[in-house]
Amino acid sequence: MGTMYVIQEDVFLGKLDERLQIKHRGERLVDVPLLKLQGVVVLGRATVSPSVVDVLLERNIPLSFLTRYGKYRGRLEPEVTRNIFVRRGQWTAAGDTATSLVAVRGFVRGKLKNYRSLLQRKQRDSDRLDVTGAISQLEGAIAALPRTPTIEQLRGYEGAGSAAYFGVFNQLLQGTPFEFTHRNRRPPKDPVNSLLSLGYALLRHDVQSALNIVGFDPYLGYLHTERYGRPSLALDVMEEFRPLVVDAMVLSLLKKPNGLSLGDFEQEPLNGAVSLTEDGLKRFLRAYEEKKQSEFKHPVMGRKCTYQEAFEIQGRLLAKFLMGEIESYPPLVLR
Amino acid sequence: MMLEIPIAALNHYAYCPHRCWRMFCAGEFVDNVYTVEGTTWHQRVHTVGEGFREEAWQVRGIWLSSQRYGLVGKADLVESEKGELYPVEYKRGKQNPWENDDLQVCAQGLCLEEMTGTPVRKGYVYSLQSRRRREVELSPQLRETAIATLEAVRELLTTGDCPPAVYEKRCRGCSLFDRCLPQAATKMARYREV
Repeated sequence: MGTMYVIQEDVFLGKLDERLQIKHRGERLVDVPLLKLQGVVVLGRATVSPSVVDVLLERNIPLSFLTRYGKYRGRLEPEVTRNIFVRRGQWTAAGDTATSLVAVRGFVRGKLKNYRSLLQRKQRDSDRLDVTGAISQLEGAIAALPRTPTIEQLRGYEGAGSAAYFGVFNQLLQGTPFEFTHRNRRPPKDPVNSLLSLGYALLRHDVQSALNIVGFDPYLGYLHTERYGRPSLALDVMEEFRPLVVDAMVLSLLKKPNGLSLGDFEQEPLNGAVSLTEDGLKRFLRAYEEKKQSEFKHPVMGRKCTYQEAFEIQGRLLAKFLMGEIESYPPLVLR
Repeated sequence: MMLEIPIAALNHYAYCPHRCWRMFCAGEFVDNVYTVEGTTWHQRVHTVGEGFREEAWQVRGIWLSSQRYGLVGKADLVESEKGELYPVEYKRGKQNPWENDDLQVCAQGLCLEEMTGTPVRKGYVYSLQSRRRREVELSPQLRETAIATLEAVRELLTTGDCPPAVYEKRCRGCSLFDRCLPQAATKMARYREV
């Protein structure tokens, strides 16, 4: 089952025995066993009954609130784990330390390497595509990382690599009616940006939940600095997953014959905010959930896992690094 | 005051010091199929009560403690036959090959001795699966090992220092396996990122 996404507005979430029940104007829409629930994401407004709050907290099931467009608003957070040792390791490494430098290098390397392999894969699959320039720019940035001595400079390479990648992103949409000129958000003003933003918001919910389970304070990060109300560590660990989970899924959804078409989007007047129609949103969420549950072999642990499990494995590897059990943080890098 | 040690911690420590640290220092506990089954069984066993099994007087689910050793914990069952008291520890599975259960029984025996002032000669491990009892003799060697383990646990709980996670065959049955990732360090050493 995994995560439940509530997209119908103004529903009521109640608990009946061991099941979570969703009602709209007194009519039961769906109910799911709590045992199978790993998370709840409400897009829009919903009423949550006290007994649901109670049971979600008790079972450590995170509940996130997003706007209808996927902007993150907040979450119901179970008590942090009693594992103070993970948090101690996390705080000791804070700031400009040798440890945080290694961690940041890992986050950036993971992201750029996964950007690179996504572009390489697309390049192999199509002759009409030329993204070799961006690939070599990424290669250059990746090669520079081991010798880069400060976090600030690592951020620079991260920015340059992302710019190279998004500079050719439009080419990846060849053969579709969609266009991508540049990354924009708050609100996203074209379909592709709206899908990326929504995907990253969902990814953030999942990564942050995994980090909570491991025992981290998600608000103390290394690549992303502390800023009030921003889960910096979740954003850090998310980096390597962006291309693997969200970008790959969005591209395939736009390319598929029965994927999303222009008709699945609507635009608001004045602000130009673009979002999915309800039916489009359903298909998007299904595709995201399927992607998360897809299996691959974890390169470090050498065993099969899903992306959902990989969020937690990466969190545990990071904890091991911060606590001195392993020598560096291995980002999830896939071919 | 001496730090009181939960009797069950001896068992966990003897099974794996790292697991003991995770449970009692880091406050982690994860149920798996074995622990859920064990808890369900124990709910039946742990209902406090007194009675007789043929000639034997029985009391279930009572707290034991020892000031001398700084121990505290619950006994599944304490029996007395012909004036001789002994603890019976219930275990879910078949008789397991590790001596950790014996340590737990021994620690319960030490508590009983102190609480009643009479020597405890033996105890039992009862397997819920095979419905058999195995006698555990509270030999001088076992007592010595139990006390040494107790001191090691006290050291662990006092310092909070994390013992290394060492991968062994028994790790597969451990409910904390996915948290501890005991193979991570060796796998990392071999890993080459693409």
